[in-house]
Amino acid sequence: MAEHHTAPDYKHKASSNAAGALSGNGRAGSSGGSGGLSGGLTQPAGWQSLLSFTILFLAWLAGFSSRLFAVIRFESIIHEFDPWFNYRSTHHLTTNGFYEFLNWFDERAWYPLGRIVGGTVYPGLMLTAGLIHYVLNLLNVTVHIRDVCVFLAPVFSGLTSISTFLLTRELWNQGAGLLAACFIAIVPGYISRSVAGSFDNEGIAIFALQFTYYLWVKSVKTGSVFWAIACCLSYFYMVSAWGGYVFIINLIPLHVFVLLLMQRFSRRLYIAYSTFYIVGLVLSMQIPFVGFQPIRTSEHMAAAGVFALLQAYAFLQYLKDRLTRQEFQTLFFLGVSLAAGVVFFTVIYLTYTGEPYHHLYAKIHIPIIASVSEHQPTTWVSFFFDLHILVCTFPAGLWFCIKNINDERVFVALYAISAVYFAGVMVRLMLTLTPVVCMLSAIAFSNVFEHYLGDDMKREKPPAEDSSDEDDKRNSGNLYDKAGKVRKHVSDIVTMLMLMLLMMFAVHCTWVTSNAYSSPSVVLASYNHDGSRNILDDFREAYYWLRQNTDEHARVMSWWDYGYQIAGMANRTTLVDNNTWNNSHIALVGKAMSSNESAAYEIMKSLDVDYVLIIFGGVIGYSGDDINKFLWMVRIAEGEHPKDIRESDYFTPQGEFRVDKAGSPTLLNCLMYKMSYYRFGEMQLDFRTPPGFDRTRNAEIGNKDIRLKHLEEAFTSEHWLVRIYRVKKEDNRQGLDHKPRNLSQKQKYISKKLMGGKCAPRGAWLAWRRGAL
Amino acid sequence: PRPLLTGHSCPSCQLFLSGEQNMLAEKVDQMMEWSSRRSVIRMNGDKFRRFVKAPPRNYSVIVMFTALQPQRQCSVCRQANEEYQVLANSWRYSSAFSNKLFFTVVDYDEGADVFQQLNMNSAPTFMHFPSKGKPKRADTFDLQRIGFASEQLAKWIADRTDVQIRVFRPPNYSGTIALALLVSLVGGLLYLRRNNLEFIYNKTGWAMAALCVVFAMTSGQMWNHIRGPPYAHKNPQNGQVSYIHGSSQAQFVAESHIILLLNAAISMGMVLLNEAASSKGDVGKRRIICLVGLGLVVFFFSFLLSIFRSKYHGYPYR
Repeated sequence: MAEHHTAPDYKHKASSNAAGALSGNGRAGSSGGSGGLSGGLTQPAGWQSLLSFTILFLAWLAGFSSRLFAVIRFESIIHEFDPWFNYRSTHHLTTNGFYEFLNWFDERAWYPLGRIVGGTVYPGLMLTAGLIHYVLNLLNVTVHIRDVCVFLAPVFSGLTSISTFLLTRELWNQGAGLLAACFIAIVPGYISRSVAGSFDNEGIAIFALQFTYYLWVKSVKTGSVFWAIACCLSYFYMVSAWGGYVFIINLIPLHVFVLLLMQRFSRRLYIAYSTFYIVGLVLSMQIPFVGFQPIRTSEHMAAAGVFALLQAYAFLQYLKDRLTRQEFQTLFFLGVSLAAGVVFFTVIYLTYTGEPYHHLYAKIHIPIIASVSEHQPTTWVSFFFDLHILVCTFPAGLWFCIKNINDERVFVALYAISAVYFAGVMVRLMLTLTPVVCMLSAIAFSNVFEHYLGDDMKREKPPAEDSSDEDDKRNSGNLYDKAGKVRKHVSDIVTMLMLMLLMMFAVHCTWVTSNAYSSPSVVLASYNHDGSRNILDDFREAYYWLRQNTDEHARVMSWWDYGYQIAGMANRTTLVDNNTWNNSHIALVGKAMSSNESAAYEIMKSLDVDYVLIIFGGVIGYSGDDINKFLWMVRIAEGEHPKDIRESDYFTPQGEFRVDKAGSPTLLNCLMYKMSYYRFGEMQLDFRTPPGFDRTRNAEIGNKDIRLKHLEEAFTSEHWLVRIYRVKKEDNRQGLDHKPRNLSQKQKYISKKLMGGKCAPRGAWLAWRRGAL
Repeated sequence: PRPLLTGHSCPSCQLFLSGEQNMLAEKVDQMMEWSSRRSVIRMNGDKFRRFVKAPPRNYSVIVMFTALQPQRQCSVCRQANEEYQVLANSWRYSSAFSNKLFFTVVDYDEGADVFQQLNMNSAPTFMHFPSKGKPKRADTFDLQRIGFASEQLAKWIADRTDVQIRVFRPPNYSGTIALALLVSLVGGLLYLRRNNLEFIYNKTGWAMAALCVVFAMTSGQMWNHIRGPPYAHKNPQNGQVSYIHGSSQAQFVAESHIILLLNAAISMGMVLLNEAASSKGDVGKRRIICLVGLGLVVFFFSFLLSIFRSKYHGYPYR
């Protein structure tokens, strides 16, 4: 009931905040637009900045509070999968210190390989959270590191909206900036990655992205080394936080390149880019995970090429002043042909070594990448769902920007086009599109408000005519002389309808946030017919059981989705986890899951598995369980072991995947099926259905009499969502009869990487251990 | 041509054996000669029976049953044929090429009797005839489920015959050539009009181009490109054509076009609203432009919202 009370109240608060901010904004917009005109005559500058501060503060508050649905409904808890790893490493950082963290070798993951964590993560997120925790504790504000982690993303969303405000102000004017700040505070496309508890890289990276862009635009505008260095520092933070920094290091060179093509070369540009490239390059190479990539891989080459081009261009400009026309032309011709030759041979070299294509090929064809649902193209529905009215209006903003082009608007146009392309290819990259959509929509809306909302004010006090500054010429004459011409009621209607649209946007955002993006997925909730709520806490129950009842060094096998959670919540060793760096190891686990029990036992023995954990949703109708993911396990296993596992064996002759009697016998006897449905045949959920009726797949299971030989059930959670099995130790040996023993070597199930020699000592250790057994 | 001999009734086993060996060597030589000429051997009914069906053999044969004649109008066959050619060429020019495996094709119009004999009523079909024994169920390639990419075919062959073929696709030059043509065309155009290059600086043109990209992406054309949905769905029972897909996870091509137009209309409305206020002109005209712009925004946005509502079940607002 308490929840019932808070949620609508909450919604009201968030939306009214937003609407209030928006309507306040219109006024600010008009005054911002006329700021250059009116100077200090009509309004004291203090009012303007006070209004801006208030609006930004409210936007921060609205953004922060609309991200708290999950905390209020459930509790302060880390969500989903990857955040659990981030949380675990942050915890490690705060307990053991920075250097320990950098050198951390995690022997509890990827058993028996282990994982070098310090060198394979972007440490920005953990360091930020750790630093905040440290400062708070220094001030004697004792908070648990978990709370810092949970609330980090909502706090950073406020910083994001401020940097969006700054960037939009540079691009257009203050009014548009405030509008953009309000948009980005509540837009679902960004909330989806930054709700409280989703402690992930993207939460802070979008702030770093926007701030880097702001500083870049600022440094191009001023041409000062100070701003360029600030831009580099911000870029450094971005590199330390997220792999998406590649977007920056390609977009900024693209901007420079297009400016060169448009013959907008200037000394400011030269200073800004030369500084940014060199310092940014050196700084980005300081992150262990990035290392030497910026000078080796193809996605960083564009930046280097543009750097060279810019130097050449500047040199030519210099020569142009010194030489006669004839000499210059000869030199130019020579230079161009030389450059063309170099580019040509580089391209040929790259084509023959084939490095970039290979990379791309792997991305498309490995099933483990295709199996992640985020890597799918985007339908128009998800665009509309995440951006609502903004997706329809931001092209208008783009239109205005291109029509009134200048150096920095070239940047925002390129940003919009590249981001919209990437968002179309992959749902996940909607995140990089969202900020630019907010900015451009804000420009479109602020344009309209500027023309229709400021009217009555202008009519009363026509401002003095001294339009000397401001690069946008459009507001010099026409802004106020139309005041009397367009009738007042028309502009009123326009204003009203636009405000209504924005109100709808605010309501939509709140609804989407509340319904789609605020479930922690660690704790599930179901609603009864009368609206009361059941909390299904099976995951945490099971992980806690593991933590309390198993040996500290027990090794738990599960599908890779749950690796981080097991490590984070149960503190047990896992075989594979969400950092899917070793495909053959995952394939081995997939093979164990999809083989029959005795074959699986051999694999599990060779991997020292003590417990097997699976997710089963058949009792409550949870669709994200392991049987529904099972085909991916088979596919991944088949990729590495095509002799033993064949996907077609798991289908009926008609090509269907069924768990009932008609299902294929291979499926009905594989380990995953047996573990999922063990003792399920005895269970009658409902009087209308037979015993053993699977609610997720709506079928009566085909194999009700399941006997396990090498495994035993250890734990099943309340709603059967998580089932844990213990792998039995081998029986005592049978007495040997006196035949000569056959000492042939058995096949070893050791993953390829391990055999490859990189981890030779560990491999040897494993072999020794196996020999000892 | 040559009568089949059955083992038990042969008068002299020694003679028979050597005869069989001769015949085998002859067959292998013949196959090798053919495959040195073309990587895929074309077969008619007689050849098929002699070289593929009849023992003795010590080689595996992959057969594609297909209908490539234009009057059959089998577009899938042509695509499958291309993939098959790629695979056969990869085998023919690989270092591991031997007389253990041959690629052949039987066209329906040249060997209809083979189709009848094998009880086959769909094309294309890929079958493997092992060197010993009869083809089993798994020797027919599961086209429906796996598709006919040469990589998949190679995997299947590796599974059936233990021959690993590394698929080598000839690099596709058509894209490069098209690009070069385009560049030279644009360059030529620029050169011809070198005295009058203002059109490059035309902002409206560039803005239009940018907006086209944006509209194409936001209406999900990339999804269409990758997933290849049908243009629209026609209900087989009552013949009704639905342009909007019922689920929020998918879309039709027609639907994305509708959305593209709606988005464009809303953006145009916003631009018109702005034009109305900022242009200098007749008051009445500007008012009309303003109202038209407003109407475009409001009407088409509510239309868009209602389409969204029909797709996204449970959406409470209108």
